[in-house]
Amino acid sequence: MRNLGRGIRYLGRHRNTTLIAYLALFISVGAQLMVPQLVQRIIDAITNGVTAQSVLAAPAAFRAQALAALGWNAEQALLHRDGAETALISAGLLILAFAIARGLFAFTQSYMGERVSQSIAFDFRNELFAKIQRLSFSYHDRNQTGQLMIRATDDVEKVRMFIGQGLLMTTQAVVLLVVALLMLLLTNVRLMLVILPVLPLAFIMFMGFGRMTQPMFMKVQIKLSRLNTILQENLAGIKVVKAFVREPEQQARFTASAEDLMQQQIQVSRVFSFVFPVVFLLANLGQAAVYYFGGQQIIGGTLTFGEWQKFSLYLAYVFFPLGMLGMIISQMSQAAASAQRIFEILDAPNDVADRPGATDLPAVRGRVAFEEVTFSYFGSGEPVLRDVSFVAEPGQTVALLGATGSGKSSIINLIPRFYDPTRGRVTIDGQDVRDVRLESLRGQIGTVLQDTTLFTGTIRDNIAFGRPDATLEDVVAAAKAAAAHEFILEFAQGYDTPVGERGTTLSGGQKQRIAIARALLLNPRILILDDSTSSVDAVTEYQIQQALSLLMRGRTSFVIAQRISTVRNADLILVLDRGRVAAHGTHDDLMENSSIYAEIFASQLVEDAPADERAPHPTRGTRPVFDDDGRKGLAEASRSAARSSASIR
Amino acid sequence: MHGMGGPRHILAQETSKPTEVRATLGRLARQFGPFWPALLVVLGLVLGSTYVQVLTPELIGQSVDCYLTPAAMSRFASGAAASLAPAAGQPQGMTGRSAADSSCWFSSSAFGGGALPATASTSDFVAGLGRLVLLLIVLYILGSAMNGLVFYLMAWAGQHVLRDLRVKVFRHLHRLSLSYYAENEAGAVMSRITNDMDTIQQAISFVLVNVASGVLLIIWIAATMLRMNTAYALISMSVVPLMIVTTAWFSGQARRAFRRTRVAIGAVNADLQEGIAGVREVQAFGREGANIENFRQANAANRDANIRAVSFTAALAPSLEALGYLAIAITTIMGGVLLLRGQALFGTAVSLGLVITFLQYVQRFNMPIQQISVMWTNLQSAVAGAERIFGLLDTQPSVQDRPDAQAMPPIVGRVEFDRVYAAYKQEERVLCDVSFVAEPGQTVAIVGPTGAGKTTIINLIPRFYDVVAGAVRIDSLDVRDVTAADLRRQIGIVLQDTFLFSDTVLNNIRFGRPEATDEEVRAAARLAHADEFIQRLPDGYNTMLGERGSGLSQGQRQLVAIARAALANPSILILDEATSSVDTRTERQIQRALDALLEDRTSFVIAHRLSTIRNADQVLVLVDGEIVERGRHDELLARRGAYHELYMKQFRREEGSPAQPGGDGREPAALPLPVAQHARS
Repeated sequence: MRNLGRGIRYLGRHRNTTLIAYLALFISVGAQLMVPQLVQRIIDAITNGVTAQSVLAAPAAFRAQALAALGWNAEQALLHRDGAETALISAGLLILAFAIARGLFAFTQSYMGERVSQSIAFDFRNELFAKIQRLSFSYHDRNQTGQLMIRATDDVEKVRMFIGQGLLMTTQAVVLLVVALLMLLLTNVRLMLVILPVLPLAFIMFMGFGRMTQPMFMKVQIKLSRLNTILQENLAGIKVVKAFVREPEQQARFTASAEDLMQQQIQVSRVFSFVFPVVFLLANLGQAAVYYFGGQQIIGGTLTFGEWQKFSLYLAYVFFPLGMLGMIISQMSQAAASAQRIFEILDAPNDVADRPGATDLPAVRGRVAFEEVTFSYFGSGEPVLRDVSFVAEPGQTVALLGATGSGKSSIINLIPRFYDPTRGRVTIDGQDVRDVRLESLRGQIGTVLQDTTLFTGTIRDNIAFGRPDATLEDVVAAAKAAAAHEFILEFAQGYDTPVGERGTTLSGGQKQRIAIARALLLNPRILILDDSTSSVDAVTEYQIQQALSLLMRGRTSFVIAQRISTVRNADLILVLDRGRVAAHGTHDDLMENSSIYAEIFASQLVEDAPADERAPHPTRGTRPVFDDDGRKGLAEASRSAARSSASIR
Repeated sequence: MHGMGGPRHILAQETSKPTEVRATLGRLARQFGPFWPALLVVLGLVLGSTYVQVLTPELIGQSVDCYLTPAAMSRFASGAAASLAPAAGQPQGMTGRSAADSSCWFSSSAFGGGALPATASTSDFVAGLGRLVLLLIVLYILGSAMNGLVFYLMAWAGQHVLRDLRVKVFRHLHRLSLSYYAENEAGAVMSRITNDMDTIQQAISFVLVNVASGVLLIIWIAATMLRMNTAYALISMSVVPLMIVTTAWFSGQARRAFRRTRVAIGAVNADLQEGIAGVREVQAFGREGANIENFRQANAANRDANIRAVSFTAALAPSLEALGYLAIAITTIMGGVLLLRGQALFGTAVSLGLVITFLQYVQRFNMPIQQISVMWTNLQSAVAGAERIFGLLDTQPSVQDRPDAQAMPPIVGRVEFDRVYAAYKQEERVLCDVSFVAEPGQTVAIVGPTGAGKTTIINLIPRFYDVVAGAVRIDSLDVRDVTAADLRRQIGIVLQDTFLFSDTVLNNIRFGRPEATDEEVRAAARLAHADEFIQRLPDGYNTMLGERGSGLSQGQRQLVAIARAALANPSILILDEATSSVDTRTERQIQRALDALLEDRTSFVIAHRLSTIRNADQVLVLVDGEIVERGRHDELLARRGAYHELYMKQFRREEGSPAQPGGDGREPAALPLPVAQHARS
């Protein structure tokens, strides 16, 4: 609830719109509440007019008696008779006037309400996105893309609905309820007392209904997603299912799940089919009571026809807000939970952020040093790097070798300060990376990942990703150097070919070359890359190899090495074993002195994967890049992104 | 009741127009076949409840004309009743119905028919009113019960239909051949099915009944009003066409506007997805600021599109409401004028009760009209969805058992490709005149560049696809002459893209042979060298795996897949070697597991490891769908042909310059590898 209150404060940013919406609300409810009043006037004018007509037309003796019974004098009777039509037409026109006012202001209310709610959603989404974009890697390690997506979509939607419209509705319901009850009371106290007991009953039913159905709906959702999981698995794994001839088992599994879902749905409908008719029945019984007891009063002469109809109309106004309030209250708890989840993200501390007083990193020469660096992903967890120290001189190539989980990617993640070391420090040209502004640091480090995410936009946009102001000549030059120019020109739209989610699908090798071009364009002094190219054929692999070696020339480069050539040419090889530098040196040194190196060299590098037939496809060959330490990383994220578009072949 | 923005939510749905409405609706209706008794009951109940809705306003009118008006009149007329006889020219309106009028239901028995005589006492009026209200209450209860039952029965039948349809679709998906999945992405198929099912569900459980009973109610009320008083009815209902036109116009506008919002929100979600999934690259390239600004723009466009769209829906309800009030005003004014002037206008007379009845009737038009307009959209997308679902059900699998297909006898393991041609689509040629024989127990390695047709060869053995020409024979039996299930049961497959289910490790291995005991599962795991790591999992064999086996490393997933195949104990093994690198130890385990699995079985391996190729009894070198060379590794290498070239390029690339393209006469350089082309260029 506290979070909801905090969300409601966002209304303050749209004060004028909000005020207009609420003002319109009051006017439109007011106009609505006038209508029964006017209906009463019309009906009473009619009955009085007709009565007066008949009385005045009657013989004189009877006329006096009747007038006495009615409590009228002759003048009044005449007035009633002659003025009836005028009165009724003027009241009718007034109804029209109020109807138009009601329409206009109701429109204003819901339009402005939508404006407010959309604006609030806009604010929330912007804040969430900005926060998410800046949250450190460790935060993203702990949170899945899908989860964060839901915060920015479903949760924002729920909060928007409640704050933007739910509150308006609540106000409307309360005003309508209070005034209608007041009018009932003013019209006829006795009648009011008769129908009073029905009201809390209806309210309780609505509330209880919300409470009861919410968990049932949740169960439906769970069962539906279970069913969809089976469907999804069978679609994605169709080949396995067919190969092992497991269709009958899977069908039985699906049928059972579908049956389960159906029963749950039917259970929900059972509640619906009971509650709604009962609530309507309650409303109707209230009306029936009005007909009977009101009718009794008409017969007794204590109620006019007009009052009777007015009462019936106001009673209808009472039931409507009751139902609405019941629904809104059940929505409120949902909105509160959503608001909490939203603020959890907005309040999440960013553990890698610029220090106060951080300065810009001056143009880098390229000396990178690790000084007794110990690092674990989750503060207290098992260290993935222990006392790692080394120095890379400007222009040197450092090859990182080691088994999965040995800490290779942790080292490359610490250089652009994607994480902070737990102990020790990482310096560039002697300056601790934590003392400089992130932007100036990362702007001078180029990264080529094995698994490249392309962003919506053109190929040119993607190559210019790190330098959006680059000229087309620069982009083309970079693409040429990365052996990408040729295939780019093969597209009809060339550099303007749209890629990403909704654009042309590029093969793994093509993406990789775009990534290389992207890094080349940045012209960084420090380069981080993964030289593995497992998802492409031999030709492409060769081309990529050439492009990579061009890229590395003259830059301090850190390479997660897969290739003999890389290792051979490296100025420094770091052999990592469970977070420690087990051996370091050049290829020749290590071949002589390190048995671990010799083993890795033989087992991992010699039998390098030949070009294979795997279709160049994003889901394939996703080797962890940032995450060889078993953390969820980029590879996982992009894999899940690609999953939605996974193909079978 | 629809709370916040119910209609706009529905209007915001995908609305693609169905093309064959009648055929699709008919077919959808046939799905309800087994539930016709329920539907019949629903029909009866809808008629009943509509009748109640038409009847109740009439009864209220009666209460006015039969008891309230006479009673009110009698108060001032008491003692002078005689003089207030109808002969006195009293307007009929206030006396209500004449004595001869039998429409006062509760007076006839007690007072010999017709309205209560003017001499009736107050208590007589109250008693009559009481009886009438009692009937009203009974009708209300009946109506509610009928409504509840209709809702429940429709939901019940609808859910059953939906379940049957789901199961039907699921079974059909299993029947469809892999060629279908090659053309249709799994994700797209998935989302289409779920979305379509969703719209169908909404339509068949609520919309259909609502639209049907709404239309029925409108017609019935209109007919009743016309019967009661034609002229007055025509005047009172004059607003209704206006309501319909307004609704149709606004809904159409809103639909179009909401279509634009879908595009806008799609862009927002795409940005979100990209920004979150690619956050590491964004930060690596320092693009946070630019990204946030981009997102802001998409987000603003979405906001504006929504605000624009909502201006139509926000106008619809108030407009209809205003029209509703207009109808009320017209009805009361005209009723009043008619009452006051007697027969003077239009030669017709009305009673106060009739005015009140009509007042209730005109208010009842509002709701169904609004509902129908909203539901119409919904219905339209449901029919479109049903059309797609039926289209899917009508898709014939390209690989089907022949009617006379026989069971596959236990396989010995001789596999023969006899001049096989294969193609996924009409015009393309994937395999061309491929012939080879694998003797029982042999290992056949298939090598070649991307797109050469290696996968196609292994897809033909379990008959995932059919050949275009030629034949694939196992133990001399054409695979098209045996039942696919029998055939596949004896063939084991390990794909490089390991697919595991979100189930326990145990069940994932058992997938290979569901009837296997736990001990057999363990034995298979041990054979696959998977036992060791499985034991170390939090719940051992009962550890639940996430979607697609998440929770295990890639190497571990491969080991589980190998255990799965081992458990199936197939006679023929097909293996697509994984190329993705795992750490050295796992790599060796996988290698050993595979060796154990390959032993004594006819095996086909899409080879990525030199060791596999070296150990193979036969290496097939595939280029552009043709076998260009075959033999053992050493022979092929010695031949210095295509294989040699491939070897030089791919396995010893680092060693130096590529060798000269070979020409040994048999497979001349006329069929060069793409690699060779590149090397020469």
